[in-house]
Formats: sequence, C-alpha cells, structure tokens
Amino acid sequence: MSQVTLDAAAYRVVTPEECEACEFAEVCTLNLLGVGRCGRVLAVGGDPSVRRRLMEMGFCNAAHVEVVRRAPLGDPIEFRLRGYYLSLRHDQARHIRIQPVLS
Amino acid sequence: MSHCLESSPKDIRQAEMVIALAGNPNSGKTTIFNALTGLRQKIGNYPGVTVEKKTGRCALPDGRQVTIIDLPGTYSLISRSPDEQVAMEVLRGLRADTPAPDVVVAVVDASNLQRNLYLVSQLIELGRPMVVALNMVDVAERRGAPVSAGRSEERLGVPVVAVVGHRREGIAELKAAMGRARVAPMPEWGLPEAMAGEVERIAAEVRSGTAPSPSTLGEGGGEGLLDGRGGALTHPSPGVPGEGDQWSVVAERLLIGDEAGDLDRVLEVPGVWEAVAGARERLLASGVDPVQADIEAHYRWIDEVARGAEQRGSSTRGETGGVVRLEYAPVRTWSDRVDSVLIHRVWGLVIFAGIMASLFVALFWVAEPLMGGIEDGIAALGAVVSGWLPAGPVHDLVSDGIFAGVGAVVVFVPQIALLFLFLGVLEDSGYLARAAFLMDRLLRGVGLHGKSFIPLLSSFACAIPGIMATRTIEDRRDRLATIMVAPFMSCAARLPVYILLIGTFFATWGALGQAGMMLGLYGLGIVAAAVTACIFRKSMLKGQGSPFILELPGYKVPQVGQVLRTVWVNTREFLVRAGTIIFCFSVILWAMSYYPRLPEERTSAIAVAAEAHAQEVLDSFVAAHRDVRHTGWHWEMDSVYDDALLSYIAAEQLRYSISGRIGSAMEPVIRPLGYDWKMGVGLLSAFAAREVFVSTMGIVYSVGEADEQSSSLREAMQRDRYADGSPVWTTPVALSLLVWFVLAMQCMSTLVVVRRETGTWKWPVLMLVYMTGLAYVVALGVYQVGVRIG
Repeated sequence: MSQVTLDAAAYRVVTPEECEACEFAEVCTLNLLGVGRCGRVLAVGGDPSVRRRLMEMGFCNAAHVEVVRRAPLGDPIEFRLRGYYLSLRHDQARHIRIQPVLS
Repeated sequence: MSHCLESSPKDIRQAEMVIALAGNPNSGKTTIFNALTGLRQKIGNYPGVTVEKKTGRCALPDGRQVTIIDLPGTYSLISRSPDEQVAMEVLRGLRADTPAPDVVVAVVDASNLQRNLYLVSQLIELGRPMVVALNMVDVAERRGAPVSAGRSEERLGVPVVAVVGHRREGIAELKAAMGRARVAPMPEWGLPEAMAGEVERIAAEVRSGTAPSPSTLGEGGGEGLLDGRGGALTHPSPGVPGEGDQWSVVAERLLIGDEAGDLDRVLEVPGVWEAVAGARERLLASGVDPVQADIEAHYRWIDEVARGAEQRGSSTRGETGGVVRLEYAPVRTWSDRVDSVLIHRVWGLVIFAGIMASLFVALFWVAEPLMGGIEDGIAALGAVVSGWLPAGPVHDLVSDGIFAGVGAVVVFVPQIALLFLFLGVLEDSGYLARAAFLMDRLLRGVGLHGKSFIPLLSSFACAIPGIMATRTIEDRRDRLATIMVAPFMSCAARLPVYILLIGTFFATWGALGQAGMMLGLYGLGIVAAAVTACIFRKSMLKGQGSPFILELPGYKVPQVGQVLRTVWVNTREFLVRAGTIIFCFSVILWAMSYYPRLPEERTSAIAVAAEAHAQEVLDSFVAAHRDVRHTGWHWEMDSVYDDALLSYIAAEQLRYSISGRIGSAMEPVIRPLGYDWKMGVGLLSAFAAREVFVSTMGIVYSVGEADEQSSSLREAMQRDRYADGSPVWTTPVALSLLVWFVLAMQCMSTLVVVRRETGTWKWPVLMLVYMTGLAYVVALGVYQVGVRIG
C-alpha cells in the first residue's frame, strides 16, 4: 500500500443524508464523511512530508476516526482520533482513505 | 561506556547536568518548566532563528544544580517547522549554541497518551538517559482512562512520574527521578521482515565503511549522537544496549528519509547512499513503504504500552486486520460541552466576534490613554532634564532627540503588553486553536492561515503588536505572508492623517460621506492585503499549500502567573531588542531635521521676515478679537506674536535641514503625485511614526503646535498657493495623499520589528520597496485621473 495517490476529489461538503446513502461504500475519503460518522484509516496519500506527519499524528494502523463537526464556514473539519481532537482542511482530509463504519 | 560529566570538554557545561524538557505542544511542558525553575529563568532566542530559547536552573534533592532547557513543543523528531527543527537539533546535540542534554525529560499528556507516546518512541531511539513526566493524570482520570505511572515504568524501562503541573503535584518526585534517569531498553519494533533485513544491511554498510565512530557523529554541542548512552547517571545501568542497536537506529533513520544534520556525515561514507537508495527501491517494489512501515510499527508498540499503562478496562481490545487497537469509550467531558457552544455554527461566531471586539477595544481605546500618559510623562521628564541645560544643540538633543526617542519606543508598551495578555489567556485556555478553526476558511482564500486573523486584527491598532502576534503561526510561509501584509491594515497612527485630510478637503461631504470615505480607506488596505497575500503565496512564498493540521486541545483555566510571565517576557524583549534600534533611528531622524543649522549671515534676513510675519499674524488676531478684550489681553498678544515668530523660524530651519533638502530634492519625484516639497518633508518625518506628518505640517506652515483638529493648520493648508497662484492642496492631491498613507510603508518601527521577527533585513527591505512602490503607482493613478476629471 505504498505511494498512495488519490484522485483530487472535488471540494464539496457532503450532507449527512448523502453520506447515509453511501454507508456501505467500501472506501471513502475522510473529507466526504458526514458529521457524527466514523471510519477506519486505510491509507494516507498526498505530499510526502504532510503524509508522514498525518501518520505520525495517528492516522495509521486502521485507527478509528470520528467526524466531530465542520467549522461554521464548512471547512476545516474537526476529527476525534486516538482520544484527542484535531482539525484538517478538506484539502488534507481528502488524502486520507477510510473505510466507513457504523458508529 | 558511562562517561564522566566532570571530564566533559565543554566549559559551557561547567560540570553541570543539562536536562531538556521535550514533549508535544499542549502537553503542559511549560507549566512543568515553570514549576521546576520558578523565577530562575533566562529567555532569549536561538541564534539565527526566531525561536524562543528558555533555560532555567533548579536544584535536585541531592543538592546538584542543573540547567533545564524547555524545548519548543514538537510532535516528531522529523521536523516540519523551525520550532520543531530546534527541538530536534538540541536533542541530537547538533546545535553549537546549546549543550546536548544529559537527561531528556519526556513530558507526556496522560489524557492523550497514544499520540504523546509517539514522540517518546523516537526519544527512546535517541538513546539518551530519560525520565517520563506523566502530566495531567487528573484529566486522564476524569476522561475515564486513568494511567498508572508504575505500570508505564515497567513497560518503558525508565522512571515515570505522575505529575499535575499546574498544581505542582509530583514536581519533587520528578526532580528526584532525574537523578535516576536511564537509557530506555530498545523496544522490538516489529518492522516488516523485509524492512528489518534492509535495516541490518545498511547498518552493516555503515559500520564497515570508514564511518565516523558512533561517539563523534554529532557535531555542534560537543557531544556525539550516541555519546549520551551513559546509562543511569548515578549508578551504572545494567544491560546498556550495545552500539549495534544504535547503528540499526541510524540505518532506520536513513531508510525513512530523516534529514537531520547528523546523518549527512553518514551519507558521505562511500557506499552508504547507494545502499539506502537501493534498499528503498527494493522495499517499494515489494510493496513496503519504509516511512509507513516505521510509523505503523511505532504505533503498534504504542498500543501495547498504552494498554498496559491504563489502569482500568475502559479500553477494549479489537482485532482488525490483525492490528490490535485501543478504542476509547466516548466520554463527554466538560471540554466537549464547551466546544459545542464555542465553535457552534451560530453562537461560536457570535462569541468569537465578541472576544475579538474586546481585543480590538483593548488595543485601540484602552491602550490610548496609557500611551498618551507615557508620551506626556516622558516629554515632561525631558523638559525637566533639558531645563538644567543651557539652550543649544545639547539641550535640543536631550529634549527632542533622546527623550522623544525613548518616548517613541515606550509608547508601544501598553499595546504590546495588552496584546500578549490576550494572547496568553487565549492560548493557555485553548481558545486560540478554536479561533483559527473558525476563521481558517475566510483567510485560506487569500493563502493565509486561520491563525493569521488575530495578528491582522491587532494590526488595525498597530502593526507592531500585530507582527509580534504572528509568532503563534507555526508554518514559516504562512507566518511570513501574514507579516508582509499586516502593515496594510490601517493602524491608529494613520487616523490623525486621515482626519486632517478628510476634515479639511472633504468638509462638504457631510458626516456620512466622510465616514464612508474613512471606511473606504480601511477597505482599500484590506483589499491590498488580500491581493498581495495571494501574490506572495504564488511567488516567493509558494509551496504545496501549507498543511493545516491543527490540534484542538482540551480547555484549561489559564494560569495567572504563566500569562503575566508571557506579558513580561515579550514586553521586555521588545524594549531590549527592537527598542534600541527604534531609538537610534528616532535620534537619526531628529538630527536630520535639526542639522545643518541656519547660518549666521542668513539669520538677520530671516529675523526681519519673521518679525513681519509675526506682526501680520498679530494684526489679524487683534482684528478678530477686538470685542473680547479682558485682563491679561496684552499677555495673550505677546504670546501670539512670539509663537508666530518662533514658528516662522522653525519652518525656515526645517527647510534648511537635511530633511528639508531631501524633501525639496524629492519634489520632482513626488510632483506627479501632486505633492510639493512640504509634503515631501512631511512624508519623510512620518517615518518616525505616521502621525508625525500632522505636526510636521504644523511646522512647515508656521502654525506652531498643531494637531489634526487645528483650524489654523487647516486654513493655512487651504490658503497655500504655488507661485502661479494655483492652490497647493486640491481634492486630487488630498485623495492621492490619503491613498499613499494607506499603502506606503513608512514606519521604521515596523521595519525594525519585521527585521527582528524574520531574522534578516531581506524581508523589511522587500516590504519597504513593494509597499511604497505600490503606493506610488496607485497614488499616481488617483492624482492623474483626479486632475483630468477635475
């Protein structure tokens, strides 16, 4: 699973309803996950140094991620990961591939 | 191979133990540092970078004095920002200005154990004697995931002390544990087999080549990369890992592309670079990414340790693809509840607006009377001191040069102190990260960062605290872009100029029109900032859109002592570092408007003209006040006459001075903008501070002491005519000058602070050139168009 590169998904805030519809998708990028939903980290792509830092922050080993909220202007997005909170822009979150799970 | 500290060659250490505090941002490192050292701290800068260097002294229970270094917070030893770079270099002993630490105290936030342990896993590989300070154990307990120091110690093999930093609990135990610090046994990381094999192959290559001996790998601090492997300092540690381990660590770091300086020398060894490149290629071909495999192995170890360290079964074991994970029961803490309001999509923005408004009010209005008081106080003191001196150049130097220069520096203190008071509270409480979270989308559009908001807002009061506030922005490019556009925000010093010009030349517009005009000037500054930020991010500060990885730490009650310390340290630093340069420039600017003095042979001619002028002023004064004679009338007449006389001579003197001559010489350059030499002198003098333009106008128009409301100055400006009888001041001229004041960089204090914050003269010079260039072009356009359409 090396050198993961993901397609540049178009910037778009996905509504929870839409996310509901793709609940059984096998793979999804983190920016597309609706608020309150969870997923497991599958792979991280993008710029090597950012990718490394994201993994160092805990996006690895199938870690459990929850989407806590979006900022009032839609971006960035706040996540809960390994017992702490951090926020990423769409632009970073779309490089994290996850497997959605039922919360 | 435990080494004797007393025999250390570096005299900087003076046989004293050096202890470094390392930890993630928000791990409470600084609180522990303060608890350990009290007031015995020294705060400066690491040479060459604008990273704060904090050192302090503390006595261990056995009586030894130790030096404690509070390193900048870092998430990893593979650094991404200048702060993290410094932390890494100190820990690896690569900085000539800082001794390599004998002991590393890893500060770990127990309520955020996993991510904090990642740095610990790297610190273990560092191979220095270590102690772990398990901070915020109380928070971890409240969150339902209590951590046991005893069990962590078993797992890690180094002393672990439970600490609650802000209550000073466990500080004595931590001091005692420093004496017991030991090198952690190297864990079995469990790297994929293929990678472990490649690591061994590279290690063998490094060892067999003419590699530098392990103990001389590190440069700088005098101690080698591996030299710190002394085991416990007080008694020899059993089972000190052999050097073989360290070569493996070096090989692993090479393989994952760690670019720390100590590895450069290893890469120079013939064959090593090729071995690393070959290994990387083979691994990638077989589907193993060394970076990912390394981090995953570390986190697997972390899961093990964390599970062992937790006291209760709040964690559950889950098997997913063969990977053991920890899952936290989602305990809703009060911090979560606060967040659901403070970053709510409606209330969050309302509260944010309220907090920012109070920051702005504090900087703009609360600081104002304090600044006025300081200016008046220093001027009064200057008058007293210079009163002891005979009239002459020395007298003028003391009162107008030195005391005014001191005033020019000290006047910034209220705003800087208030700003850091706010920043300290916001940062300590955890709100600063939320503010960035709320505002990021707005600022990202122009290539800035959520954390650029407070610096830019502060710049509406004054660019100096604003630029100092950019220290909260970690990314270098984001920070530079913010610094470079901050002076476009219309600061309080521009306000008197705006009021003078709008009030004089747009009087017919009515209050509403004038307010609109004022708003337009602020808007112009904002637009200029947005456009230039975009341009900078697409040219000089281009970069793979700097990542926004922002931790939202749990809320904490700010500690008064810590906040006041921040205020004191930053204010003092401004006075010492920037203040001295600003003072020198002030004195130079004063001298330029003072010298050369009018020559003897011209004074008589000027005296005649001055007397005629004064008589004229007196006559018109008498004519205007014919009906209001009262006792003391002749006193008033005398003072009107004297003022007119002196201000006429002052105007002549200013015109004769270096500033006056430069103003005249500049005339051909500023003529196309509609300015004459008087305005040129005004623009030059505005370098001391923009509002000085108004008082300089008062001097060149011989109306004596003037402020932006003086009707005598306004009338004099409106009356002023060129030799051909056309008015000097027209609406296009005023507009052009207003635009100039919005856009031009003409504040030497700002330039000095930018120099201070960026570490080179390159940025302030660039700022001066592009802002003033932009101002010239736009003001030229405004004037030329204005003249043509009348």
